[in-house]
Amino acid sequence: MHRLGFLLLLLVPLQGYGESAEPVERLHTALLEAMQMADHPTREAYLRPVITDTFDARRIAGISLGRTWRSLDDVQRDDFVTLLMDLVVATYADRFDRYNDQRFVTDAVETVQANVVVQTRLLRTDDDDVRLDYVLKGGRIFNVIADGVSDLSLRRADYNSILKQEGYDSLVQHLRDKTAAARNG
Amino acid sequence: MKRLLAALAWLGVAGCASLGGEEYAVYDPYEDANRVVYDVVDAVDRHTLTPVARGYQKITPGWLERGISNVFQNMRTVPSALNGYLQGKPGSGSTDLARVLINSTVGIGGFFDVASRMDLRYQEEDFGQTLAVWGVTRSRYIYVPFLGPSTLRDLPTTLVRSYVPRLILGSEYHWSVSAVDAISTRADLLSATDVRDASALDPYAFTRDAYFQRRKFLVYDGRPPLEDLFDEFEEFEEFDDADDG
Repeated sequence: MHRLGFLLLLLVPLQGYGESAEPVERLHTALLEAMQMADHPTREAYLRPVITDTFDARRIAGISLGRTWRSLDDVQRDDFVTLLMDLVVATYADRFDRYNDQRFVTDAVETVQANVVVQTRLLRTDDDDVRLDYVLKGGRIFNVIADGVSDLSLRRADYNSILKQEGYDSLVQHLRDKTAAARNG
Repeated sequence: MKRLLAALAWLGVAGCASLGGEEYAVYDPYEDANRVVYDVVDAVDRHTLTPVARGYQKITPGWLERGISNVFQNMRTVPSALNGYLQGKPGSGSTDLARVLINSTVGIGGFFDVASRMDLRYQEEDFGQTLAVWGVTRSRYIYVPFLGPSTLRDLPTTLVRSYVPRLILGSEYHWSVSAVDAISTRADLLSATDVRDASALDPYAFTRDAYFQRRKFLVYDGRPPLEDLFDEFEEFEEFDDADDG
């Protein structure tokens, strides 16, 4: 009986963190694959369906734009969501461009209210680990927090600064430029 | 020393006495002045320290670059240990102290981070975090010329940081140590500033907001309240529901 109990304990970690962490682990697997691909267009083509599935682009767009989101009509909203996803995909394809034995580990999964927080680390052989926490709602990622810095908070502050100073059209142009720059490395 | 303590106490009191509002939130009443300093420092940095740091990274083998960075981190682990104790965390202070002892001896002057392999992780404490633990949870943002983002509360830490090697080495100190420290520190920050350049539309706001978030994360030792990760976005639920209805 003792031995059986011990064996069961050994099996627990092998089961992983189940369904709630699945989108994050799917993203990580895809990133490790993409890192081993030679050029940006191939990485982007490979990552696009995974990122589109695992991220809640509409929620990210809505939160990033704040009040401005309310003033947009449906077509403008759809256009902005597409533009944002292009930028996110191009940025991932640009940043995860070199495989050097990196690994991702999932450390914890916690559910608070309707949100799931998946705590992970990117382990690098040539540099310090990076702590990556993902926040999900309805099974999709809407925020990534790297070493305590929230991507969504930064995005919202950054976009609002441009909205206030230059307006919506200028923000759209800036995002197009950033996407092009990420594609050109 | 007395005067220094009095000044620090004043900074602490001044930092919290007049401030209400949300803890750890971005607070930038000197934004106009800060932006001017940021623009000047950024322009100088792009033409001086950044290319030097890139060159340094290019010609220095990875193991050597990491070793040099480890040496300076080992020196800064001394104040980190002290601040662990000041924050009432003897475990954190002792971990840092053990790191210094092990890395300075077995790790040959801190070059090799042997302690991390023994699972003794750098605790990354400083006096700004100590003041936050003591109650100064909100402070004015200051972009310090050539030393970067800070707050009134973190200012002593920002100013003293580059003096640590001088204090530790005493008569052995030579100015070249500070030069290598500055280049090594800038090289360590290159990946962060590259992310800023790739992502930020308003680099000033981006740097400032990232600084406040990172400081909060450090004060909470990497475990900020989970609710804080999404509470600030709850307003979206309103227009989300409005869309559905």
